[in-house]
Amino acid sequence: MASLMTDQGPPDGIVLTEAQKKSRRQRSIAIALALGVLVVLFFAVTLVKGPAVLVRPM
Amino acid sequence: MTAVDHNAIELPPRISEAEVSDYIALLKPRVMSLVIFTALVGLAIAPGHFHPVLAFTSLLCIAVGAGASGALNMALEGDIDALMSRTANRPIPRGRITRSEALAFGLTLSFFSVMTLGILVNWYAGALLAFTIFFYVVIYTMVLKRWTAQNIVIGGASGALPPVVAWVAATGSISVEPLLLFLIIFFWTPPHFWALALFRSDDYARAGVPMLPVVAGPDATRLQILLYTIVLVAVAVAPWPLGYFDAVYGIASLVLGAGMMVCAVEVYRRRERTESLRATRKMFAFSILYLFALFSTLLIEVVVRAVTPLVW
Repeated sequence: MASLMTDQGPPDGIVLTEAQKKSRRQRSIAIALALGVLVVLFFAVTLVKGPAVLVRPM
Repeated sequence: MTAVDHNAIELPPRISEAEVSDYIALLKPRVMSLVIFTALVGLAIAPGHFHPVLAFTSLLCIAVGAGASGALNMALEGDIDALMSRTANRPIPRGRITRSEALAFGLTLSFFSVMTLGILVNWYAGALLAFTIFFYVVIYTMVLKRWTAQNIVIGGASGALPPVVAWVAATGSISVEPLLLFLIIFFWTPPHFWALALFRSDDYARAGVPMLPVVAGPDATRLQILLYTIVLVAVAVAPWPLGYFDAVYGIASLVLGAGMMVCAVEVYRRRERTESLRATRKMFAFSILYLFALFSTLLIEVVVRAVTPLVW
């Protein structure tokens, strides 16, 4: 199966350049870090507020 | 004919090569740093205890909200940014990021900053942050900027709100002190930006932005800078005799205000091109120092009071 695929020549669709792959990876890491910070922030505030986390003004 | 048209619109999909630094540039980091600083002062002078984690969360949300406003501003001003030398290197004019990508980025950050501030701190602060973003993006960028020479006067309100948002985050209510900070930044904005507009007036004229020097001329702008500086200095000193801030702040605001007045008078007097350019650049630079030093005084006072409670 693998040999069949390689015999068919270059794959269809878009092939990313090295620069595009590199920048996409950078952006993915930045998004992951931002989401990580958000999770840590919610966790930390939950610890700080304790049961009062469910009591919000307004 | 149909086949030709069909082929013409079938462009290859654009693959972004934008790096993280391009997205950081969209946030206007220098503006963000001033917003963080003024918000920090708003937090610091707020009464009562505010947990450091909640204080950090508030500052982070205000900073991200300010960055989101910057990204949305750049998304909406890509056309005029490309025409001005000061802004031609921004990610959108350089083709690093498309307007729709910047729009999506700005809207996402706006949503998360407002919701996080509302959920984790309080909804009054969240709502005020949402209003600040709305005011900057819709009222200033979309309406005022290309319409009236009073754009930065009215639009300056959005830049003046961060310490108020911070105070509301800390206390859940509003009071006179954050409004005084608001007024100081509000009256600081026109002389600061008109000084910039004076030495960048060719840029603004080319882009068709009706800044005061373009619409009313440099002489009228110099007079307005002087008048607004007089009001600014008076507003900045007023909290001292009114009893809201103490003598250390009062003396600092008088000294710094004298510096602002000297710069404004120089801008008003110097009409010859080279001298005028030097005076406006000096005014622009000093105005940043003025605001930073004035707010630093309040911050230092809070820190000194905290570490030496018996003396005070």
